[in-house]
Amino acid sequence: MEEVKQPNIVQEAPHFDVEKERKRQKVGKILKNVFVYTFLTFCAILAFLPFYWMIISSLKTEAEYRQPKLTLFPETIMWKNYEVVLTQASTSGASFAQLLVNTLLVGGVSTILGVVITILTAYALARMNFHGKNLLFTIMLGTMMIPGEMYTLTNYITATQLNWRDTYTILIVPFLVSVYYTYLLRNNFMQIPNSLYQSAKVDGLSDMGYLVKVMVPLTAPTLISITLLKFIGSWNSYIWPQLINNQRWQMITNWVTKGFNDNKGLLGPASSEPLTTLKMAAVCMVSLPLFILFIFCRKYIMRGVSKSGTKG
Amino acid sequence: MANPENKNFFAKIGEKCKALWESFLALFKKKEAQEVAAETQSGEVFVGKELTAKEKFLRFLKAEQGWLFVTPALILLAVFTFYPIVNAFIRAFQENYNPLSPTKYTGIGFENFVRVLKGDTGTGGATFLQCLVNTTIFTFVSVPLSTLLALLISVALNSIKALQKAYQTILFLPYLTNSLAMGAVFATFFTIVGTKNSTDTVGLVNIALGWFGIEPIDWMKGGKGFVWTIGQIRIPWTKYVVVIVYEIWSGLPFKILILFSALQSVNKQYYDAAKIDGASKSKTLWKITTPLIMPMISYLLITGIMGGMKQYTSIVGLFGEQMGIDYDMGTMVGYIYRYISNGQMGYAFAGSLLLFVIIMIFTVINLQASKKKVTY
Repeated sequence: MEEVKQPNIVQEAPHFDVEKERKRQKVGKILKNVFVYTFLTFCAILAFLPFYWMIISSLKTEAEYRQPKLTLFPETIMWKNYEVVLTQASTSGASFAQLLVNTLLVGGVSTILGVVITILTAYALARMNFHGKNLLFTIMLGTMMIPGEMYTLTNYITATQLNWRDTYTILIVPFLVSVYYTYLLRNNFMQIPNSLYQSAKVDGLSDMGYLVKVMVPLTAPTLISITLLKFIGSWNSYIWPQLINNQRWQMITNWVTKGFNDNKGLLGPASSEPLTTLKMAAVCMVSLPLFILFIFCRKYIMRGVSKSGTKG
Repeated sequence: MANPENKNFFAKIGEKCKALWESFLALFKKKEAQEVAAETQSGEVFVGKELTAKEKFLRFLKAEQGWLFVTPALILLAVFTFYPIVNAFIRAFQENYNPLSPTKYTGIGFENFVRVLKGDTGTGGATFLQCLVNTTIFTFVSVPLSTLLALLISVALNSIKALQKAYQTILFLPYLTNSLAMGAVFATFFTIVGTKNSTDTVGLVNIALGWFGIEPIDWMKGGKGFVWTIGQIRIPWTKYVVVIVYEIWSGLPFKILILFSALQSVNKQYYDAAKIDGASKSKTLWKITTPLIMPMISYLLITGIMGGMKQYTSIVGLFGEQMGIDYDMGTMVGYIYRYISNGQMGYAFAGSLLLFVIIMIFTVINLQASKKKVTY
């Protein structure tokens, strides 16, 4: 049998300088940290840059924005850009206030109703036994494979035939049921031990009572996440309102796709040329509420996103 | 003036109703209590005396109570999801479908698909094939790149202690944005303002490239010399770069969030073992960390590709509602919406069915590919 040569560790040991090795490791660790923090800082700057750019651009004068020399902070702060954008309808014709009211109304109603329906459905699928439950659940999950555009088409025809175009109803009703959130909540409900259900029953609680008094409080974090994500989804909805409603009945996001000009001459000579600074002011106003929401509900939003993985 | 007799009458009715309701409730409660008792009594099945029809009905109601809970969702799903899916499969095969005309359609066949695929729809602008190429390139460049970048960032994030939360939060910020609003911001990065006027800004990206001595490029226009042509397909690569940069930026936060939490759940013992065996840092990353979080990576790739094939709003944000010049940056979803808007529903239905098939194909390929590797 061939002899396997072992590396001679023992012999090397006396030459091993502990102090030197420790120092080497320390330097290596510092170098690594410098590298990692530089990389992360660079990425963080890139992640934040568009927001910074959007804010400073919205506060610049158009002349400053257009000059070849880059300024990282506006020379004169133009709050007036916001005034112009707010007082003047964009080229789309609808005002910010109108669209904000639309968005809050539609977002609020569809979020509340949507969450109630999600809770009821998820509870039935998780806790109740009825014939055809598994079939229903399978079909519901199956629809998640199908791109939403396929239903948008028919819904467009349905809405036209029902005479629901240019109403709030059509913005709310088709999107009340979210199969994914139902699935998410059902899984959450399933995690609650069955013994709780049994003892609640013995105490004479009905299914509805059990749902409201036990299940909902226990799954509150998930419910908050779903509520927030649903509302953010409404805030960001663009395609459907654009397709189905005229400007008066659209949502806040539809507002920023249009150009903004100073045709009343509030900033200088009147012209119908689209101005970038005004557009950035509009973009800021649409983005800012989401940031405020994020600051207050960071935990729930991040948890919800990591669980659901859908945008709105 | 109150009529005492009337009042009496209503009170009587009220009492009757109340009594009826109470007896109903009592029956219901009794039934429930019995059932619970039966269930809890060492699993013995409750065998009562012969049930009356009323009791049978109540028992049936009780058993199928779940349907009551799902009814609202079911009605909405039926009208706005199930029916539309079936409808799409039917309408796609009806030629010249028009919901407003009395005859609705002129024939049945594959005409819609043939015309969509040939680009022979009688409407100018990007063909379906062009849209397919656009969408596929955007997706298959941006999704792997952003996943790789997200992996590196999350590994870096996982290796630090100080300021971890702060970095995590900042890196997550782009997730919460409105893709139309941020698309507009990204467009300004690449836009040269004005027309060949030397006093105008060339946009942030060109300014940055200028530091390395690169001449300004009109990214958003993609004029002559910046377009590759393959047969009928035009690839204005400068515009592609704009889309891909934006897609990577907006795709990163979600991927970082997922991969970071996956990394945090990796058992630390693996790293200790690797350290003892003398594995280098990069070897640890590629041979231990990556395989361990492979399920999450493949999940991100699948969802990223499925989402990417359906992208639409980011392009509108960047290039406006015309999706570039005459829809040349159009995506498949954009194609469908264009044909809804101009009333050629048949082509829209055919396009949506094709989109469905394409997404299915990619999903199946992805699942097959990830099945082999994901065995942890």
